[in-house]
Amino acid sequence: MTDPELTPFDHQLAAALRGGRSVAVPGLVERVVAAILAERRRRVVIRWGSAVTVAAGLMLLITLGPPSEETLNRRTFALVAQDEFDQLGELFGAAADLSLLAPVMANPSVVEILDASGS
Amino acid sequence: MTQPDSTVPADEDDQRLMGLVAGGDDDALRMLVHRHHPRLVGYLRGEVGSQATAEELAMEVFIRLHRAAGRWRPEAKLTTYLIHIARNLILNEWRRRTRKPTTALEYTAEPGDGTHASAREVSELDEAFQRAVLQLPAEQRTAILLVVQQELPYEEIAVIMGAPVSSVKTWIHRARARLRELLKDFHEDT
Repeated sequence: MTDPELTPFDHQLAAALRGGRSVAVPGLVERVVAAILAERRRRVVIRWGSAVTVAAGLMLLITLGPPSEETLNRRTFALVAQDEFDQLGELFGAAADLSLLAPVMANPSVVEILDASGS
Repeated sequence: MTQPDSTVPADEDDQRLMGLVAGGDDDALRMLVHRHHPRLVGYLRGEVGSQATAEELAMEVFIRLHRAAGRWRPEAKLTTYLIHIARNLILNEWRRRTRKPTTALEYTAEPGDGTHASAREVSELDEAFQRAVLQLPAEQRTAILLVVQQELPYEEIAVIMGAPVSSVKTWIHRARARLRELLKDFHEDT
């Protein structure tokens, strides 16, 4: 890359930068290789870990099996019952709210009625 | 034991080694790292200004290369691919540190650097140039490092930087002008 148009500054720049073109550090290559191999082992462990988790999930599904028709019916009735209970609850709740909002009307006592008729 | 094939060009040998690495050959992996690691650290050190960070990033680059070995297609030279990964890592690091990518990640004279420096007897002038490069905007720094330090052709730099060749030439031109300005005390031909 000898360019006749290069100035002394360009030559100085090239000399300064090319000094650091390649930096060999003793023992570093082995450290890099060791780090790569450790990372590969870690990836293998993670891959196997995921596979085992998936397999365990599948086993659980197979072992438990799908729910029977009777179970499904029972669950449906339970859901319906729960739904009805919730609806009733809502109605009573609303009634309770209405009673709270109703104006307070004090019923006259028997004594008051007798007094009123006596007078 | 995998042996380097001296009769084939380095690029073709890289392809062969990558194929072996994809198949789990640890000797081929060791050979690839041995071949490309020093130059990658040199480039990264120029980019980030720190030997320790450069070594960490280089390790991450090789881990990613190994992870992608099975999917790797020899559409570009392995060197290009490695520097491309390295540059992406640097950009990610910038984003992570939420710094604007206009300055180098850091520049601190590290005690460990002294040993490498003394081995190469880096002069005061060289250090001034390297410090000046770290002050350049990101694109200009990458372009000037790749063309001057790594001696890569414009086309390859364009692939690495994901930009047209014309942009690469502009960045290099601006980088030279800015360096000339920053280092006017060290040269006479201004």
